[in-house]
Amino acid sequence: MPIINLQHVTYRYPMTEQPALEDLSLQMDEGEFVAVIGPNGAGKSTLCYTIAGFIPYFFKGELEGTVEVAGVESRQASLEQRVRSVGLVFQNPFNQISGAKYTVFEEIAFGLENLGVNREEMPARVERAMALTGITDLAERSPYALSGGQQQRVALASILVMEPRVLVLDEPTSQLDPVGTREVFEVIRNLAQRGMTVLMVEHKLEWVAAFADRVIALENGRILAEGAPAEVLTDERLLEHHFGFSRYTLAAREARKEALWPPSRRLPVTLEEAEAGFREGLGWS
Amino acid sequence: MHERLSFYIQRNSPIHRLNPLTKLTLVFALVLISFFSPWYWTSLCLILLVVFPLTVIGQVGREFFAAALRLLVPVTGFIFIMQSLFLPGGETLLFRFWFLRVSLESVARAFLISTRIFGMVSSFILLLLTTHPSELMTDLTRRGLPGTVAYVIISTLQILPQMQAKAQTIIAAQRSRGLEVEGSLIRRVRALVPLVGPLVFGSLVEVEERAIAIEARAFSATLPKTSYREITDTSFDRTARWLMVGLVVLSLVVRILG
Repeated sequence: MPIINLQHVTYRYPMTEQPALEDLSLQMDEGEFVAVIGPNGAGKSTLCYTIAGFIPYFFKGELEGTVEVAGVESRQASLEQRVRSVGLVFQNPFNQISGAKYTVFEEIAFGLENLGVNREEMPARVERAMALTGITDLAERSPYALSGGQQQRVALASILVMEPRVLVLDEPTSQLDPVGTREVFEVIRNLAQRGMTVLMVEHKLEWVAAFADRVIALENGRILAEGAPAEVLTDERLLEHHFGFSRYTLAAREARKEALWPPSRRLPVTLEEAEAGFREGLGWS
Repeated sequence: MHERLSFYIQRNSPIHRLNPLTKLTLVFALVLISFFSPWYWTSLCLILLVVFPLTVIGQVGREFFAAALRLLVPVTGFIFIMQSLFLPGGETLLFRFWFLRVSLESVARAFLISTRIFGMVSSFILLLLTTHPSELMTDLTRRGLPGTVAYVIISTLQILPQMQAKAQTIIAAQRSRGLEVEGSLIRRVRALVPLVGPLVFGSLVEVEERAIAIEARAFSATLPKTSYREITDTSFDRTARWLMVGLVVLSLVVRILG
């Protein structure tokens, strides 16, 4: 049974005519890593909020179709149930800091306090979440006196500590510098290897290709393309619809016009694939 | 930039170890007693015999006197002088200068008012220096203060310095495009206008995001919340609180009867 099951979901924000999601169906299995790509306004964040139950609970508006997470219809689920099944992390690390706590350790424990977890249980769970995100040495720091990458990992730990069954990441690195981006992606790679079920919205296609089992290209609230990363991320329709390609894909695509790319190879998405292809195309070993 | 808006000084003193509510009760007891007491010297005695020794026991004496000198002495000094000069009435004339008329009664009234204010503010400073804001809020929440109220208070304390920093950034950005923020008063006020839009609307967007973020951590869950911070409440604390309530009632009774 899929852990996430969306059937014919159509959603309009309050006071809008144009649906943000239109007849969208999506299933995810436990342990699967799904990446969502798409231009601005494609409905990526809306999809995240729908899965996490913030739609329609927080944003109101009209939701049609079925949204089931871990077998529970999200409109019927309580806040505790929704938080325990889906953890949501989004772009701005600064706005995800609660403001209610003065140390990173207590910031991470905030969710456990709200869920009424015994205080004896908290230290072990917080330690585990900090170890997973590599922030153990920040435990006693103020959550506001950190770099963006550190803050985003605190936000991630604050969600992981509640042990949700699915992690939804809405462009977790879009406001970070290259160092912060790398720090956060290392954590996500680690989680993926541990078999965490993840749905991640991301623009950095090389990372998408490195992590995802499946890629969904979203446009105007509908699924434009769906499949293995190598297929979707080199699909010509992505260029026509202004999604863009990774720079490696673009370079190889140009090279193919000059017959410098081996015709038997698919266009690359990652640096490694590009390197292998160019070596072959240029006759280097 | 300030990391946070908090006066708290971490020390391991008996005052720090008191239950936050005990210290809050102390503050209110001091304020109420000094207002109820008809005797002119009550506030000064409370300051000298209660507040000052407690700051020393709390190992925050130096910070306390620094704050008192910078903030309290000028303000209460000013109040004292103004009240002495302008409080009307009084039989015993001390001296007359130009249109000013200073009587013994007005000086006494001014002394009363300024020592009351000094006492009130200094006991609050004592509370703030020795009590971690989140400990105070955790304790009050445990005693029935709504979680939302505690959250609003404590997050405001933390977010204000961040907003201040953002305002500085916006001002710098506007100045780099030629906005003049110096000069006459009118020019300075006018310079605030382009600051308001980005700051207010930007903050509104942030509020929504922050609401989503805390909801993603089950903030409004209906379960009974727990707390990681453990706050001690000893029998000494409870006795001290009842004693202080008793003293306040006593001073009220004295006031009414006297």
